[in-house]
Amino acid sequence: MANVRLVELTKNYKRGSEIIRALDGVTLDIDKGEFVAVVGRSGSGKTTMLDLLGLLLKPTAGSLFIDDVDTTKLGDRQRAKMRARRVGFVFQEYNLLSGMNVLENVMLPLRYVKNGAAGKQRAIELIDRVGLSDRIKHKPSELSGGQMQRVAIARSMVNRPSLILLDEPTGAVDTETAQQLVDLLKLLNREDQVTIVIVTHDVDIASQARRQIRLKDGKVLTDERVEEKLPVA
Amino acid sequence: MRRILNTLMEIARNVARHKLRSFLTISGITIGVLALTTMGALAENFNALIDGGVAYFGSSVQVGPPDGQSTPILPISKVDEIKKIQGVAAAFPGYTFNAKPGQLNFSFGVADQIVASDPAEAAWGAIRLTYAQGHAIEADSQDQVVLGTTIAKEFSKKVGDTIELPVRPPDAKPDFVSHSFKVVGILNTTRTAPDNFAYINITDGQMLLKDSLPDPIRTSFDVTQVTQAIAVYAKAGTSLDELDRIASRINQQVEGVKALKPSDIVNGFKQGSVVFTGITTAAALLALIIGGLSVVNTMFMAVAERVREIGLKKAVGATTFNVMGEFLLEATFIGLVGGLLGYGLGVAIVVIRNTFFEPADGSTLFLITPTLTIFAIGFATVLGAVAGVLPAWRAARLDPVIALRNE
Repeated sequence: MANVRLVELTKNYKRGSEIIRALDGVTLDIDKGEFVAVVGRSGSGKTTMLDLLGLLLKPTAGSLFIDDVDTTKLGDRQRAKMRARRVGFVFQEYNLLSGMNVLENVMLPLRYVKNGAAGKQRAIELIDRVGLSDRIKHKPSELSGGQMQRVAIARSMVNRPSLILLDEPTGAVDTETAQQLVDLLKLLNREDQVTIVIVTHDVDIASQARRQIRLKDGKVLTDERVEEKLPVA
Repeated sequence: MRRILNTLMEIARNVARHKLRSFLTISGITIGVLALTTMGALAENFNALIDGGVAYFGSSVQVGPPDGQSTPILPISKVDEIKKIQGVAAAFPGYTFNAKPGQLNFSFGVADQIVASDPAEAAWGAIRLTYAQGHAIEADSQDQVVLGTTIAKEFSKKVGDTIELPVRPPDAKPDFVSHSFKVVGILNTTRTAPDNFAYINITDGQMLLKDSLPDPIRTSFDVTQVTQAIAVYAKAGTSLDELDRIASRINQQVEGVKALKPSDIVNGFKQGSVVFTGITTAAALLALIIGGLSVVNTMFMAVAERVREIGLKKAVGATTFNVMGEFLLEATFIGLVGGLLGYGLGVAIVVIRNTFFEPADGSTLFLITPTLTIFAIGFATVLGAVAGVLPAWRAARLDPVIALRNE
């Protein structure tokens, strides 16, 4: 079943009198539980696609369905609610709030959903799963880059979204840490059946996804599925 | 509950993030509310005094000598003539004397006065006098006095003490006459004129009137046949308009007197009150609005500094309303803290002034009322919220895509 469906999704920008077609009639399905890497050169439309999937942008044309809801018909408030419930974000620059500790940062999205206060246990559990139980009261300034990104990953999952969007999540960490983060994402993807869409320039990271969508000039150039190697028993 | 607590903690953290800036902003509000509290307390004290005047003069008709007669003397027979006028329920003669003749004391309140009246008049007046100590003057007694709370404090008198009235000035001539009165009662505070009054009996008032006359006419003048003024009362609940009509009837039907229209007196008091309150409150509000502008500035800076944070919050599900609410709450919090601090400091100044720097005449200058408390803190809080509207609106309207990638 498709978790995300893009139908002729188009996004144009105006630059002076010129119209830039950042995403040009993309149609594709992303199934629940998929691990998708979106790759392409700068300006290919990766980030625009991610912003559209995250309902941060409104498309110029076409439709975007998330869990069978046509998001293009939603108002701003409903889109915000859908972001809170169904979508998680991880950014290259972590975007943790410096005044809050790890637990408070992870709990931030709970603030914007009903009965969010009951999610504290979920936040603690996620912090444990990303291996930061001993840092739960630490401020972001007391964490390494990899640890901060783990906090961001835990934050993205706290509301049990069906879709997690990652924008160059390994761009600010070293190779070893990047691999650890990808391993963590793969684990969460497998255990929670959450759909992961990761935008990356890193070929190594992209090659570990089960599906690679390559964009060029706002269009899908290639869309390849890779059979995952089963873990050795 | 936890959500509210978390929000409050975040607001406190955001305010504490730039300690000096927050301190200066809150100081602006604090100074404004301090000014509003002290100026407001001054106005409230003045208004309490005015309210007493309005209550008294709005419930009686004051009758004095006719226009053109400078000496405040009326034949006592006029009391009975006035009693016959339609609508008049009671009329009482009265005498008033300066309690401290020859002394020039500046006061924000009423000057100390000796008021000679019929004890029965107390039942008619709009200001109900109650006793902190002792009792009312006995009807047929002599040399008894009931003191208002301010005058009692000024001369450190309690029930059973004696007081010389009028008070002898330091440079009094040898023929200055004063009498010794026994204090039989001390009134509770009224915050208006009776606090500065020394109440004596009619016969004692006539005695003082006689003392005040020049030597040559003192012996030939029968003070029992005159009064200085007449207080006229209608039955309880009579409207101001009806009292005005009674005053008109007195002027038409009784020769040789002038009845003042209560509405004219009341309007005069109210006008004075409005002007005084207007001047003091406007000065304080000006200071407070300047403080409010510093909140606007601070909140705009806070929005500019937290663009990425706003973008993140929108990305994780915050609505425009959520973001706006958070910044509005922060501005409101600044206003509330400034308001509480300013009010607290204002009250401290008032208490210190009233307790440790009490003027010699025992009068109070400031009065903190529940209305003033609510107004001072409430206005600062609302001002903070209003000051936060534009910055909060700007924050709420930020495009999350641009905000998230803001450097």
